[in-house]
Amino acid sequence: MSDASTSPVLPAPPVHGTTIDKSQGKRRLENYLPPEGVPIAFDISGGGQRFGAQMLDLLITFGGVTLFLVLLLWANVLTLATFFALATLLFFFVRVPYYILAELVWNGRTLGKRMVKIRVISADGTRLSAYQITARNLMKEIEVFTPISMIFGVSGLPGMATAALLLWVLGVLLVPYFNKRRQRLGDMIAGTLVVDSPQALLLPDLAQSKGETRAAPRYTFDPSHLGIYGRYELQTLEQILRNPPQSPEQRANVSKVAKTILTKIGYTETVNPNEQWQFLSDFYTAQREFLESRQLFGDARENKFHDVANSAKTGADARFVPPK
Amino acid sequence: MTDHSAAPEQLSDAIRSARFRKEREASWQRLDTLVALAEKRGVRNLSYEDTLALPSLYRQAINSLSVARAISLDRALLAYLEALCARAYLVVYAPQESLRDALARLFIFYIPQAVRRSSLALLIGFLAMILGAFTGFMLFFEDPAWFYSFVPGALADGRTPDASESYLRSTLFDSGGHRTEALGAFAAFLFSHNTQIAILVFALGIFVTLPSFALTYYNGLMLGAFYALFHDAGLGYELFGWLSIHGVTELSAICVACAGGAQLGLAVLMPGNMTRRAALRARGRDAVCLVILAGLMLVAAAFIEGFLRQTVQSTELRLLIGWGVGLGWLSWLMLSGRRQTPAQREASQ
Repeated sequence: MSDASTSPVLPAPPVHGTTIDKSQGKRRLENYLPPEGVPIAFDISGGGQRFGAQMLDLLITFGGVTLFLVLLLWANVLTLATFFALATLLFFFVRVPYYILAELVWNGRTLGKRMVKIRVISADGTRLSAYQITARNLMKEIEVFTPISMIFGVSGLPGMATAALLLWVLGVLLVPYFNKRRQRLGDMIAGTLVVDSPQALLLPDLAQSKGETRAAPRYTFDPSHLGIYGRYELQTLEQILRNPPQSPEQRANVSKVAKTILTKIGYTETVNPNEQWQFLSDFYTAQREFLESRQLFGDARENKFHDVANSAKTGADARFVPPK
Repeated sequence: MTDHSAAPEQLSDAIRSARFRKEREASWQRLDTLVALAEKRGVRNLSYEDTLALPSLYRQAINSLSVARAISLDRALLAYLEALCARAYLVVYAPQESLRDALARLFIFYIPQAVRRSSLALLIGFLAMILGAFTGFMLFFEDPAWFYSFVPGALADGRTPDASESYLRSTLFDSGGHRTEALGAFAAFLFSHNTQIAILVFALGIFVTLPSFALTYYNGLMLGAFYALFHDAGLGYELFGWLSIHGVTELSAICVACAGGAQLGLAVLMPGNMTRRAALRARGRDAVCLVILAGLMLVAAAFIEGFLRQTVQSTELRLLIGWGVGLGWLSWLMLSGRRQTPAQREASQ
């Protein structure tokens, strides 16, 4: 039942390590093999998301503290000395301690990370330990916060020092782009990764109507029609079918797709323009059923060049020269 | 099956993968809600039935993923199952650490054990401070003008070689008009300021320990010059008391932060049989524990400095409190966590 071995033609997903999936828009994946023996993968977050989360965190913490202090000042319940004590402590708290506490309490997600839906995980796929969280956030202070606050905070800093600090911050910010797991220095020391929180959204199955049973298809296909395309074309069609056309332009596109398929598979029956959507749906269902059953028999067809690929592999076609 | 025979003219869901999905969809969705709940409130707060159901639902889902990869070409289904299994995997195998357990382990085991393991780094930290103090002290007697180069004017606050003995005395035993609120503000400022310094001292240690050593050495220079200044004015013993009450904790904290930095530096400098990255990760553990300890000591020092130093005026009492607190730290760090944590015991077996 749980036999994970797929057919030999499909590229087997790597068991662990980092891979870049070019077929899906350069998704950068971190692969794990859980004890169940079925590989799973996490998308490694891009720089934009992480930067956004960090900015949100800064906005929330510093904005929140400032707002709170302004309110206190306005309410005028504290003496000036107590107010300054509180302010100093709060501004200290929103630097390292906030990040450590937030990631401890929400298991690797600060408020900003929650909003942009990313999270920290341990690089070995096990529980994120308090040590790792502390280490990565202490390093953040050193990497970015201290240099920046020195640039702005220390008066009379010589120009050379400012330049050196700026260079350091720039260098540190570029570090993630020079390793394939997109780790910054703190991540490397702590052994952590920032990944996208997996968003599980179950879309309806296109090959199944809402009712208990499927209505008989309007269009039927025989194997000669279905043997042309492979997985790639099927899944592209799936994406088209998930977005019903709204504008005339989109409708023209759908009609173009339908016509292309009709010519390619050599379908003889005429399809009215207003029934093209129905045709595509029926074709999708039939094509998927066909390809899935081929795959079960060990004949996984990656794309429309599958017969070329097969013959190239066996070398039957390429070298055969018919006798004169 | 009876349905099929009863209505043969109707096409049942002929597609295998669609049937496959239909049969299991309910359990996936149940897992989905459980995982969302666990992510929101933690596994710890799930009900008994939910906790019981979670692993078996996870196993079913991951089983479905395996089968779906083999039989289904529905991209939406595969994407859903992959995301669901990844989320559930994190909930099942990487659950949140309980904050209370983590803190208890940190204080009882990790910090004291890390301190006992880091004798070389601690030696470097304390040596930097002591050498600095000694140099500062000796240089002051060679030429008191050194004082101006060591101690920034703002910090000296009029306590310079030109100041009178009575002024110096007044800075040590000033009881005039300190209200507790002002003391609180002072304590908060000290803590925030010192912690930033400690973090800096720690962090720079990654550059083969040198910056940490230099910064601590510089702190030592200031200390030595200060002490020499007061010693020169015949106030050595009084200053010793004034410094001891918080300095035992505060200066040790800086040394401990330096030791944390030294741990990082040593990992880069002498990684042994490991790669530098692995050595950094291995030593980083102890380094982080040392910094947390330094932070903790700075909190305590700020309290003592902000409140006690100004209210306790007798030198003997200051000495007693300062070194008593120091002894407290030492006994905690030396005695606690002598037995192993449950995880360590498991690992050693």
